[in-house]
Amino acid sequence: MRSSFLSVENLGIEFGPRDNPVKAVDGVTFEMAAGETLAVVGESGSGKSVTALALTRLVAEPPGRYMSGEIFFQGQDVLKMPPSKLRALRGKQIAYIFQEPSSSLNPVFTIDYQIREAIELHRPDVRDVRGEIVRALETVGIRDAATRLGDYPHQLSGGMQQRVMIAMALACQPQLLVADEPTTALDVTIQKQIMDLLKDLKRTSNMAILLITHNFGLVSDFADRVVVMFRGKIVEQGPTAEVLRNPQHPYTRALIECVPKLGQKQHRLRTIDYAEID
Amino acid sequence: MNEASPASETILQVENLKVYFPILGGVFRHKVGEVKAVDDVSFEVRRGQTVGLVGESGSGKTTLGRAIIRLNEPTSGIIRYEGKVISSLSSRAFWPYRKKIQIIFQDPYNSLNPRLSVSEIVGEALEIHFPEMTRAERRERVAELLKQVGLVPEYLDRYPHEFSGGQRQRIGIARALAVKPEFIVCDEPVSALDVSVQAQIVNLLQDLQEELGLTYLFIAHDLAVVEHISDYVLVMTQGKIVEAASAEAIYENPQHEYTRKLLAAVPKL
Amino acid sequence: MKSVIPMDETYAQRIWRLFKRDRFAFIGFCIVIVFFIVAALAPFLANDHAIVRVADGSVSFPVFRSLEPIEWRFLLYVPLAGLVYGFRGPLFLRVGRGLWIVAGVVLLIEFALFFHHSFNDVTNDRTLPAAFKLMPPIVYSPIETSPDQLVPPSWKHPCGTDSTGRDVAARLLHGARTSLAIGFISQSIALLVGVSVGGMAGYYRRWVDIVTCRFIEVMECFPTLLLILVVVSLCDAANNMIIIMVVIGLTGWTGVARLVRGEFLRLVGQPFPQAAQALGAGDLRIIVRHLLPNSLGPILVTATFGVASAILIESSLSFLGFGMQAPTPSWGDLLSEARKYIDFAWWLAFFPGAAILITIMSYNFVGEGLRDAVDPRLRVK
Repeated sequence: MRSSFLSVENLGIEFGPRDNPVKAVDGVTFEMAAGETLAVVGESGSGKSVTALALTRLVAEPPGRYMSGEIFFQGQDVLKMPPSKLRALRGKQIAYIFQEPSSSLNPVFTIDYQIREAIELHRPDVRDVRGEIVRALETVGIRDAATRLGDYPHQLSGGMQQRVMIAMALACQPQLLVADEPTTALDVTIQKQIMDLLKDLKRTSNMAILLITHNFGLVSDFADRVVVMFRGKIVEQGPTAEVLRNPQHPYTRALIECVPKLGQKQHRLRTIDYAEID
Repeated sequence: MNEASPASETILQVENLKVYFPILGGVFRHKVGEVKAVDDVSFEVRRGQTVGLVGESGSGKTTLGRAIIRLNEPTSGIIRYEGKVISSLSSRAFWPYRKKIQIIFQDPYNSLNPRLSVSEIVGEALEIHFPEMTRAERRERVAELLKQVGLVPEYLDRYPHEFSGGQRQRIGIARALAVKPEFIVCDEPVSALDVSVQAQIVNLLQDLQEELGLTYLFIAHDLAVVEHISDYVLVMTQGKIVEAASAEAIYENPQHEYTRKLLAAVPKL
Repeated sequence: MKSVIPMDETYAQRIWRLFKRDRFAFIGFCIVIVFFIVAALAPFLANDHAIVRVADGSVSFPVFRSLEPIEWRFLLYVPLAGLVYGFRGPLFLRVGRGLWIVAGVVLLIEFALFFHHSFNDVTNDRTLPAAFKLMPPIVYSPIETSPDQLVPPSWKHPCGTDSTGRDVAARLLHGARTSLAIGFISQSIALLVGVSVGGMAGYYRRWVDIVTCRFIEVMECFPTLLLILVVVSLCDAANNMIIIMVVIGLTGWTGVARLVRGEFLRLVGQPFPQAAQALGAGDLRIIVRHLLPNSLGPILVTATFGVASAILIESSLSFLGFGMQAPTPSWGDLLSEARKYIDFAWWLAFFPGAAILITIMSYNFVGEGLRDAVDPRLRVK
């Protein structure tokens, strides 16, 4: 039964020469329910980022090619949408945050200007834009938000920049927030802060969150369900607690064991034996 | 883990090291203030040990590591290597120490010259320090080094962009090993890699330590990785070391509140 | 975002692929190559001496006796450059050896040319009888005057003749040499100076940088063309190719210097030059092996635009009477003459003007194409 919120069926995306393509996404099928938190876990090259971008047809074509599959968001067929509807989808209904804040933050504009731009684009009926911006910044945990409106991105630390990026994404009140490795470039302490922020958001809003990561450690007390990807295919999916307790696929098991555990001084860290998986 | 025996000598001593960066301002760019990146730090490293140095960005840990290898100049304080003072040497006098102390960088994507092939990158150290080697001898040695870090000699003529992050880090390690160093400053070598690849590189570093008798200063921001590989851990924040203890003690009995904060931040399953 | 496309090409291959995609750039590049070949082969395309002449039972090649040293240089160096490029792999396997070989060949050529004396053979092979003769397509030499003055384009003179009866087409073809020689050599000088100065500033920073920047700013205050005019007239160097090349070179290096300085400042912050320093590499090695090769992109772009600009400056100089004058063929000189007869001898202005236009446009297209191909924003990491 197809979920009415987000449903991806048999998605296939290719890159490279047509006679010898790289199947970045190969027959990927999964669903999300409204308000749910889903984590997509995999290493670099597993196709997780491409899948996330595909949700609003953000994969550039060329060089990418949509070979197969369908994506339904709230009943709308994303891959068949005309550009105008896609633009309405992006930012307003599905918002993104990325690994590098610099991909969203324009260095020559203040953060006030940038968040304002997002609001004016997608919510033209809002009267008190400044108030909205301050509210958004406070929601992401920036204290004294009103005084920081005139700051430029380079004046903020990496963690702050990431929060501003989240604020920009939230300012349009999207139904789905896609977070593509949002903490990979950050220190562990900041990573914890951002993850805590996302957990708060999960609790206080009914926004669905799709988290993309390579670290199973971030998933355990955050995501409701988890999808594990390897070389473009999904190798396992299910409720987080179950997958962690009882991983079926050897790759899932290997990924879980890779996370360095405090206090258990093993002689060697576990690595992934790819030959065993194939 | 290599427990350093009490008889093993001190290889590196840092005494009251300060590295301050001037903030230049005004029309004539004169000094208007300073950034105290490293603020009166002292510690010792014994031969064969791995000393972990943890802290957030801005704590000064990277500056400290680079000061040891003279990529940053110390403002005051003394660094001794095998008993001899190296912090006040001129760059020419320091040159022979470059064979003994090496560094591995954090960013696999920018730490290799994109225009040079793997054999040129790793072989450069040989060109500089062993100029009497012929080209063929250098290639042989580079092939050996590649095997040591888990890569194949077929990679000799490939370029950095053809490799993944983990492989590039291996190339960086091979480059550092080319001069047969004794002491390696590992500046966040796994922070930019996937967890699965982190494990591979950490294992590789441990294997190399056993094989070659290396001493490491392992800089990182993730306590879990540091605790795993280190014998002794230094916790640093805002230029100062706030706690120094063995790896077990840090985990079981953290004294300083910052250490506790770092422990709490580690993602757990 | 990390790339999902496996990339298996070198930097140069990628630049070439992106460059080829730009139609204008590629066409411009082809035109540039054609102009080089024309410049080198000019003596074989427009000459009053036959290429091959069979007479009285013997075979002779009169054209070679008519070659001036500069024509010999073009004839030999352009293919030499091609050979060096084609065999750059094995040749520069050991950089030292490659350089010695090339230097040796160059010295040989220059040595031989030293002993060359022009034959000043006024015999005109057109009229000389022969059993068989193969004449160049245009049977007139650029310096050969004739009573057919100011003749409009015709079968006999495809581009007409000038006021002294010289064939314009011949002057045009030979003039390519002048423009290209001055363009390239002056830019090479500018590159040498600019890269050195900019490199020093970018690498050493502090007071070296401050002094250099002020120096660059001073140099840029001078209006280039006027400065060149002043220097050329002071040195009384009209028609002196070498001085003109040097002067254009020494006044045009500031752009490259700024660029190289910027690139070096950017690169020095990246880990890989620091890694080299940590290995014990000296300053020279870091600059030559690590910083320069990674700055090549913007340098090449500036150099390409610089050649176009140098050609324009040379033409302007000749037009004003300060550059190369007749009998040395120069497009600017042709234009200068055209001034007097413009109201009816349109061909005197049209053909050299078109030649200058096409050349400069082609170099500009190539420069733009290179700039787009080299642009790091297009880079997929």
